[in-house]
Amino acid sequence: MAVNKLFFRKTIIAGTGLFLCLFLIVHLSANWILLLPEETARELYNSYATTLRENLFIKSISYILYAFIVLHVIYALLITIHNRKAKPQKYVVNHFLQNSTWTSQNMGLIGTMILLFIVVHLANFWVRVKLGMGEIIELDAIGNLDVYEVTFSLFHNIYYVIFYTILMIPLGLHLNHGLKSAFKTLGFYHKKGLRISAKVSLIYAVIISIGFGVIPFFVYLK
Amino acid sequence: MKLDSKIPEGRLEDKWRNYQIKAQLINPANKKKLNVIVVGSGLSGAGAAATLAELGYDVQCFCYQDSARRAHSVAAQGGINAAKNYQHDGDSVWRMFYDTLKGGDFRSREANTYRLAELSAPLIDHFVQQGVPFAREYGGVLVNRSFGGVQVQRTFYARGQTGQQLLLAAYSQLYKMIRAKKVKMFPRSEMIDLVVIDGKAKGIIVRDLVTGELKRYVADAIVLATGGYSRVFRLSTLAIGCNGSAIWKAHKRGAFFAAPSFTQIHPTALPQTSEAQSKLTLMSESLRNDGRIWVPKKKEDIRKANDIPEKERDYYLERRYPSFGNLAPRDIASRAAKERIDAGYGVGRLKNAVYLDFRHAIDKLGIQTIKDRYENLFGMYKKITGIDAYKEPMQISPAAHFSMGGLWVDYELMTTIPGLYAVGECNFSDHGANRLGANSLLQASIDGYFILPNTINNYLAGALEEDIPTTDHIEFEKAEKEVRVIIDRVLNINGTKTVDHFHRELGKVMWQECAMSRNKKGLEKAILQIKTLKDEFWSDVKVTGSGNELNTELEKALRLADFMEMGILMCTDALEREESCGAHFREEFQTEDGEAVRVDENYSYVSAWEYDEGDFKLHKEELEFEFVQPSVRSYK
Amino acid sequence: MKVTFKIWRQENRNTKGAIKEYKVDGLTEDMSFLEALDHLNELLVLKNEKVIAYEYDCREGICGQCGVFINGRAHGPHDNITTCQLHMRSFKDGDTIVVEPWRAASFPVLKDLIVDRSAFDRIMEQGGYITAKTGTAPEANAILIPKEVSDSAMDVAACIGCGACVATCKNASAALFASAKINHLNNLPQGHPEAHKRVQEMTYQMELEGFGSCSFTGACEVECPEGISITNIAEMYAKYTKAKLFG
Ligand SMILES: Cc1cc2nc3c(=O)[nH]c(=O)nc-3n(C[C@H](O)[C@H](O)[C@H](O)COP(=O)(O)OP(=O)(O)OC[C@H]3O[C@@H](n4cnc5c(N)ncnc54)[C@H](O)[C@@H]3O)c2cc1C
Ligand code: HEM
Ligand code: SF4
Ligand code: FES
Repeated sequence: MAVNKLFFRKTIIAGTGLFLCLFLIVHLSANWILLLPEETARELYNSYATTLRENLFIKSISYILYAFIVLHVIYALLITIHNRKAKPQKYVVNHFLQNSTWTSQNMGLIGTMILLFIVVHLANFWVRVKLGMGEIIELDAIGNLDVYEVTFSLFHNIYYVIFYTILMIPLGLHLNHGLKSAFKTLGFYHKKGLRISAKVSLIYAVIISIGFGVIPFFVYLK
Repeated sequence: MKLDSKIPEGRLEDKWRNYQIKAQLINPANKKKLNVIVVGSGLSGAGAAATLAELGYDVQCFCYQDSARRAHSVAAQGGINAAKNYQHDGDSVWRMFYDTLKGGDFRSREANTYRLAELSAPLIDHFVQQGVPFAREYGGVLVNRSFGGVQVQRTFYARGQTGQQLLLAAYSQLYKMIRAKKVKMFPRSEMIDLVVIDGKAKGIIVRDLVTGELKRYVADAIVLATGGYSRVFRLSTLAIGCNGSAIWKAHKRGAFFAAPSFTQIHPTALPQTSEAQSKLTLMSESLRNDGRIWVPKKKEDIRKANDIPEKERDYYLERRYPSFGNLAPRDIASRAAKERIDAGYGVGRLKNAVYLDFRHAIDKLGIQTIKDRYENLFGMYKKITGIDAYKEPMQISPAAHFSMGGLWVDYELMTTIPGLYAVGECNFSDHGANRLGANSLLQASIDGYFILPNTINNYLAGALEEDIPTTDHIEFEKAEKEVRVIIDRVLNINGTKTVDHFHRELGKVMWQECAMSRNKKGLEKAILQIKTLKDEFWSDVKVTGSGNELNTELEKALRLADFMEMGILMCTDALEREESCGAHFREEFQTEDGEAVRVDENYSYVSAWEYDEGDFKLHKEELEFEFVQPSVRSYK
Repeated sequence: MKVTFKIWRQENRNTKGAIKEYKVDGLTEDMSFLEALDHLNELLVLKNEKVIAYEYDCREGICGQCGVFINGRAHGPHDNITTCQLHMRSFKDGDTIVVEPWRAASFPVLKDLIVDRSAFDRIMEQGGYITAKTGTAPEANAILIPKEVSDSAMDVAACIGCGACVATCKNASAALFASAKINHLNNLPQGHPEAHKRVQEMTYQMELEGFGSCSFTGACEVECPEGISITNIAEMYAKYTKAKLFG
């Protein structure tokens, strides 16, 4: 029997999505270094950044991460297109907020906002640090690339601060619905478990979005 | 014509076996060549279609709904009876047979009724195997409850949705055979006429309800499974689309109509609340286990129910039937309610209801117990009426419910037209003058699953030698043309009144004169009234739209046209039967305290009516009771 | 009581439709929503207009034939009921009530408010049954089924096939409907032998019919008249994966 295309795509979205969620935890905990006082933060952060770049294991993980983002986005796109085709004509009046959340109805839109964020985010860091494009990055005292400085200067631009902070809202929404949804997509159907997973998703989404969201402000105020 | 019921030889217990031993067999290679039309996809129709297909016949199945799964069997709530004796309470095939025969007031055949009881046990096995989630004990065995006027627990149920679960099982089985390409399903297709060629049923004319096209279908045998016709009363517990058209057309083509006036009126439905009302919802009879029925002692009492003190309430069932009280059988409970309502003691806005009060039960057992037992029913009541029945009594009222009458069939379920069979509620077979609760899901199912597939061979074996006609046959031409004429006529009257108007009028007459209690004068008047109404319909009805499109108004009009003719026959039958038996209560035949008087000497027969150019000719199938003695039904 | 209906009118499958407005007087609160439409239809007949086509049969919430989108909600403003169970007392005098047919590519409009839901039947055809011929069943109590199993099978077997789940779903997903039947049969011992086949074939048909994928918005379980839980979809996914891995 052929594989069900929709189930397959959805499983990929969920699997990659979960992986991205895990990644976000690691990413966030590291980035909280930025909240420390400048003296400790700069060196710590730069050495962490260096490790990220040079450790073979972490490097390979990062490739998986890129691949997963691409997969997640492609399949999300495909499934959203398919879903639109399944409902070509919309209702004249539709009070969907009475039976579901806005987030759950707009995952595609929210995802696209996140994609926008990711693109900008990569242009700000990855392109400069990894590809070495744009302004030259100095070395810090120990001889690591001063990624801290990159962050520091970026987040002294109020527009970036606002952009980074505001876009944590869609991320939070996406994660809140996405995480609990991923459990179900992957076949977890224990009723009480799902109730717990819904709570966990909410807490997770709040921590991640606020956690990331406060960083630019903190740095700005430094 | 002499009616031959073809009862097999032997002791009651052996009859069905003896029949099967002698029945003809058809070899599998030949079955493939035989074609059967099944009209209806309810329990009886879907069961028959699926089983016939499994046996190897080619089947075409029709229903008017958009899917076979919506046949009105879906609405049965209470349960299905079977003589399994799982409860170890002394049940047996014999006892079930006897309860059924007595419940029907000895107006059905012993042999049929016995077979009903006999085949009930394997039917439960069958449904369990098909995945019906019947209620179970913690230990995993099946649960039973008791139902309407019997002393054993033999009713199997699936929550309050037994009919739905059984029907879905039958529907699944049907779709399994559709996938196997042995059944072709035609939903949204309404049978409008029967085609009889050389005295044998050979085809049907169907209106495609989406395009309006008239289509012809031919087969070696035709099975009608079109359900009950109580929509003739308009307000009933039936679905809006339920109709008598298929059997009525068959009747007009020669099939005898048996006991048309035997209609069960259910005592616990929700009352009509407005003129615009389209249907009455049934509230499960189980409510009578804890609810007490009463009306005020004062006429036209306008106080709220809770303001009427205990001593000013008339618990009339308890008063009249001290031993059965609120649990008196359906016909008796309905009649008693009507008596009070007619006498001016009715309650509710239209003064057409009685109270079903749970206050005593709540006081005695606590609200939680009542909730556990009836929560979904109280919820449903609230949904429909907006009233909280934990706080004030429910208002209930009798409603037309089940048609015991139907096409006359013999032991093989064949009508008087060779090759035309009738199964399920649309035939008259096992229930006599009154059907016991939870017996009709049973009858519909075993007719379709077990009986018909075993009896149809006898006829089809003969059909093998005959050439099957084509749909170009002159009889098809003729029948289709007649239908076309009727449709055109209805559409062209262009009068001033709607179809619903006429249906409401018909319903009022039928409800007044041909429902719970009947009398000569009333029935005679009703016949005249319906005839006038019919004339008026054919000169003053207005139906918009055309015949070549989806036209729900036209569908209603065609069904109603048949109901009006059927109503006349129902009244004629009720008028002819000068006795009271089961649901048929003639006011002239009652004891001093209002109990029914059966007249076995003159009326121990099944009336079977032949259509005769707008008139009806009576034939009698005498009922012989070889194995039991008819007794008087008493629930005092 | 007086209301303004705004109703989708469409001649047939191949024509375009539009919303039309009707002012209706003389309704009462006791009337069901469908009776109000009946009343409107009678008025239309007397005005020599074609009646509005809408579906119903049992009018007691069990056949699943009724079902329209009323004021932006499948089966109207309340949770977990059918259109035929909706009464006019849920509206106020003077209200405007917008009535549209179910919208989904797999549910084409046949006329006005009537859609073709035969896709559901075709999903059922692909395994929504237990293969056992009439006459082959073992004694009913020979296979014990724990009460919890039987009860939970009943919870999902209750589906009335109305299509509200598809109608309300932004993706027109039939996942709730399909999962209800799959879980009903696959969880019963009688359904085990064909379990893997059933879940694969039924879900495959669901895809062929052009239904969308589930995004777990949860709208379906709110509109489902039988309150079938969305966790059934997750259970269906689990069964599907199991069937693929071990089937
Ligand atoms: C509200 C209610 C509750 C009930 N509760 C119980 C209960 O608890 N226990 C019990 O034993 N019995 C109960 N009954 C009775 C029982 O449900 C029915 O007698 C039984 O289901 C009838 O089955 P059937 O197959 O004969 O007909 P139906 O299930 O009514 O099927 C009729 C079929 O015929 C088709 N049809 C009709 N006319 C045409 C036409 N002209 N052309 C084409 N197709 C046509 C329909 O589309 C449908 O498919 C109840 C009945 C009602 C109304
Ligand atoms: C940090 C980045 C992201 C994370 C952690 C993440 C996580 C998730 C998770 C866990 C799901 C749930 C899968 C399921 O429903 O089973 C999901 C769904 C989805 N994601 Fe993402 N995602 C991210 C980025 C994106 C991006 C960039 C897009 C852009 C298009 C996107 C689009 C979607 C869509 C449309 C869905 C829902 C699919 C559906 O309708 O079911 N996501 N995501
Ligand atoms: S799952 Fe619920 S909403 Fe969907 S078809 Fe079944 S009963 Fe209707
Ligand atoms: S008409 Fe049957 S569910 Fe509404």
